[in-house]
Amino acid sequence: MSAAPVEVKLPETDDDSVADRPWIVIVWNDPINLMSYVVLVFQKLFGYSREKATELMLDVHHKGRAVVSSGTREKAELDVFRLHEHGLWATMRQD
Amino acid sequence: MFGRQRRRIDRRQNRFIVRMDDQERALIRQLLSELRELLALSPEDPRVRRLYPSAYADDAELENEYRSLTREELQSGRLASIEVVESSVDAELLDIDQLTAWMQAVNSLRLVLGTMLDITDDDHDLSFDPNDPNARTVALYGYLGGLLDEIVDAQLSD
Repeated sequence: MSAAPVEVKLPETDDDSVADRPWIVIVWNDPINLMSYVVLVFQKLFGYSREKATELMLDVHHKGRAVVSSGTREKAELDVFRLHEHGLWATMRQD
Repeated sequence: MFGRQRRRIDRRQNRFIVRMDDQERALIRQLLSELRELLALSPEDPRVRRLYPSAYADDAELENEYRSLTREELQSGRLASIEVVESSVDAELLDIDQLTAWMQAVNSLRLVLGTMLDITDDDHDLSFDPNDPNARTVALYGYLGGLLDEIVDAQLSD
């Protein structure tokens, strides 16, 4: 699965840095998804190593959330969608 | 090996062996039809709301746009998984795509059942009481958790 290139018109603003700031994808702790399942999803969706995926899962579990990816708004939205397909609680916001 | 339950899902090179009796496979088939009925509900229905999470927590406009763009695809993707599981429910060997569909269907069911049981914290007490009106849901939730764990483990083992 890959994203089709999308041409984006960013709102005109005096402050270019606002539009340039990356979007971050946050996964929130939830009481239903299994820890092992969350590790597998992070590995499959983002190609993370077992160690990295486990570290992120433990952050979600202990701190309540973790930033799992970042990038343009389009990339972040696709990542959020794929996490939602797998039933994870993911949101996104501009950093 | 006495007393040790045999794993139901095992990796064999690029395939996955499924060891289940007919009764268990029939249960899965039954649960799939229940999931299909649940997926026919509106995404706003509290029973399935958990299957359609929010993307933009603090921007209602972007959130509405996201929901209208994705809810149908989230629904059709899950229905497609159900079909893959239905057509492979009697198989003794699954490929990774089929096993992934099993995983997604089982996880969707767990999310719905967990929502119905109002599981809101990590240490939720799920002891089984046959007189509890939710007894069937509690039993199925536990069963699906065990199955999902095996499906995940089989993929993580290398």
